[in-house]
Amino acid sequence: MSRLSWIKKALEVGVVTRKYPFEHVEIPEGSRGLPEFDSSKCIGCSACANVCTPDAIRVIDDLNEGVRRVEYFVGRCIFCGRCAEVCPVSAIKITKEFELAYKDEVKFIIELKLVKCSNCGKSFTTTRHLNYVLGKVGEGIPELITLCPDCRRKLTINSFITPGGGIV
Amino acid sequence: MVDVVKLLYDVLGVRILRHEVIKGGVIIDVKPEDLGDVVRGITEGLGGIYTVVVGVDARGIDGKYHNIYVFSLDNLKTYILIRVRLSPEDPKVESITPIVKGANWGEREVKDLLGINVLGHPDPRTLILPDDWPSNTYPLRKEFNYYVRPKPSNLGSSYVPKRSEEVVALPYGPYHPLLHEPEYFELHIKGETVVDVEYRGFHVHRGIEKLGESRLTYNQIPFVAERICGICGFVHSVCYCQAVENAAGIEVPERALYIRSLVLEVERIHSHLLWLGVACHVLGFDTGFMHAWRIREPVMYLAELLTGSRKTYGINLVGGVRRDVNKDSIEKVVKILKNVKEEYDYFVRSLTSVKEVIKRLEGSGILPKSEAISYGVLGPVARGSGLKRDVRIDHPYAAYKDVSFKVPIYSGCDNMSRLMIRVEEVYESISIIDQLIDKLPSGPIMSEDVEVPEFKEGFSGVEAPRGEDVHYVITGRFSKVYRWKVRAPSYNNIPALKVMLHECPLSDAPLTIASIDPCFSCTDRLVVVDVVSGKKFKVDFRTLARRGRL
Amino acid sequence: MSIYKKSIWVFHLNTGSCNACDIEILDVLTPYHDVERFGIKLVASPRHADALLLTGPITREALSKVVDALLAVPEPKLVIALGSCACGGIWYDTYSTLGGLNELYKVLKEEYGIPEPPTVRVPGCPPRPEAIIYGVALALGIMKQKYSTTKVRVE
Repeated sequence: MSRLSWIKKALEVGVVTRKYPFEHVEIPEGSRGLPEFDSSKCIGCSACANVCTPDAIRVIDDLNEGVRRVEYFVGRCIFCGRCAEVCPVSAIKITKEFELAYKDEVKFIIELKLVKCSNCGKSFTTTRHLNYVLGKVGEGIPELITLCPDCRRKLTINSFITPGGGIV
Repeated sequence: MVDVVKLLYDVLGVRILRHEVIKGGVIIDVKPEDLGDVVRGITEGLGGIYTVVVGVDARGIDGKYHNIYVFSLDNLKTYILIRVRLSPEDPKVESITPIVKGANWGEREVKDLLGINVLGHPDPRTLILPDDWPSNTYPLRKEFNYYVRPKPSNLGSSYVPKRSEEVVALPYGPYHPLLHEPEYFELHIKGETVVDVEYRGFHVHRGIEKLGESRLTYNQIPFVAERICGICGFVHSVCYCQAVENAAGIEVPERALYIRSLVLEVERIHSHLLWLGVACHVLGFDTGFMHAWRIREPVMYLAELLTGSRKTYGINLVGGVRRDVNKDSIEKVVKILKNVKEEYDYFVRSLTSVKEVIKRLEGSGILPKSEAISYGVLGPVARGSGLKRDVRIDHPYAAYKDVSFKVPIYSGCDNMSRLMIRVEEVYESISIIDQLIDKLPSGPIMSEDVEVPEFKEGFSGVEAPRGEDVHYVITGRFSKVYRWKVRAPSYNNIPALKVMLHECPLSDAPLTIASIDPCFSCTDRLVVVDVVSGKKFKVDFRTLARRGRL
Repeated sequence: MSIYKKSIWVFHLNTGSCNACDIEILDVLTPYHDVERFGIKLVASPRHADALLLTGPITREALSKVVDALLAVPEPKLVIALGSCACGGIWYDTYSTLGGLNELYKVLKEEYGIPEPPTVRVPGCPPRPEAIIYGVALALGIMKQKYSTTKVRVE
């Protein structure tokens, strides 16, 4: 092995440069890039926000407008893919996009309408989330499904105390 | 395990108040007054080597502060954890640095972050916190609110280096035009020979341990742990998961252990190829740098195929892994590794035939064996000085008990030994990957039962490309960790530079600093003081490397 | 930014990152991606640079040094923030960091009265070498930003 072995190797290998952006680059399957949100499926359960480590997905209830806002900020994301794993309705898909540089901030926002308690008027969940749960358990008890958890609790206990009254 | 407990009682007698056996080690409680005798008993009597010092604000558990000193008994395959309990009003303890030189930084850190007073320490300056941090504010105490940030003041650095009388005073306000990453080495030289070195680091201190205790749950911490280091992040993620699994008694399925070991070895290959490129660059041999990184690129593609990302893999969770490998991936792995091995072979034979490279590396940066034991150095630095230390054999974890491999040991104690060790470890890693693929078992990849009980302790060590990495975890309430301590391998290796750079020619200094493989950009700022002529000049790493080239 | 249509010289400034983004910067110089075919090179002094390549959440210990390096780059200058840490990532609220580039610009405005320089941010943890090349092309005005904010209200 002499010094000429370096020159020999360089001539043998030739040019290995991949001339991006004038050439297409091959990215393996399963590589994690930008997540894609399907607003027709989202129910606003905030499982993705609970599991997100850098708080890139935030869920805030805006009571003035009566909506729950699910907000994703691309600058904070670490591209781990946990949100897609825990979503119960598969509304999040991980794509292979990597061209994400920006000058103006990029946020993906979904706003879902909130349900108001028929007794006290407080907002406690979204219409879609309520329908999703009813779809799994059946019709439910009609007097209870439009009440917030606090009013529901009070009504149930009252029905035990007041003889002959209330829910079975 | 019974042997170890009996041995401890034979050597230490009534000084042990009580003991507890955990997975992989033994915890013994002693009185603060007996600490010096106990440490001497373990290091001189049993041959234990210093590993780490952990301070815990345990006022939520038993109303006191704890200080835990960890030593490793390699031949018996256990860790010994010595715990002292200190009073909450005025926590103080005697320093063990006069006995064990490696504990220097650990005790300064406990004083900075928790306010535990260490009496008799030879160098009690601030180590970790920024220079403009308000005094009497200790971040790791439980009353320090995570969401409150003291306002930074933009004063210059007030760091005072320690130097002997004949050195001229330096301007140490760091307004310098050449900056790559703020780490501050100060070499004191006489003529062309280095006599001493000062180090002001920890510019990358981000407060990870406080973050882990505050707003994250058990399964979110592996993603944070991976971002501690940008080259060997997966090691931290595996070590944390193993510590929690040891504390909670969770059994990880076999297939998950094999997948973890496979990805760990892929990381070792890419880290050593990166280091070889950087070492060539420091020597002035840019052709070698470009060829080494050309060979490394298919390994990054391999990692992306197996895990989904080039660098931060993100496949670890407590109880197993979250992504499986299928047959197509495995066939591609075998094919790519075969190509990498051929190219690597050619590269190594070409590199070792260049006489100038051999002459620069041999005989420089000497670290004698006795100093290596006293500082507790790890990884290729320890194995280059003749110490037989490798966590995969001393404290086996994951799937390493099922594969057979050789650990290269050299007694040259110089830069050449460390290079040859890293070169041979790549061949061993390729062989380990082949064996793992052959024996890969089928089955689930995640454990069924992932219940984590409260207030249990766990300790785990993993062999990173740079040495032994340890994590210590105390589990807490509501799915949160009570205390999480990380000790990376470069923490033990950097103080040993004082010995390696003593009486070293100035042109060999950058190569010696690079040969311990610190995190890549942390040795970038040096101030060179010529003691004899009284001249002082600032220089950056590139210029110094150019001065040291042929 | 039309003055930047030719090759720019870049100064790499690490403000306390884990080094993954810095290794990807070195990767962009190596034969597989070879950014030197556009004429871009790394320089040793901020006085010679056109653009600043910044990685890491700004730690408190490194703050004064970062401000000095930023002020030393001559006008007109450009800042490219690489990685999710600089855009405000995991470390946005720890005690020892500022938490990203927005906070640094606030400090510059309050203490020194300096306006914000033109900035391009490249998210990713770490961003691929091809994403870095796309970010630089966006800064030079050769390519356009691909994504923008979207807002959808559903029933």
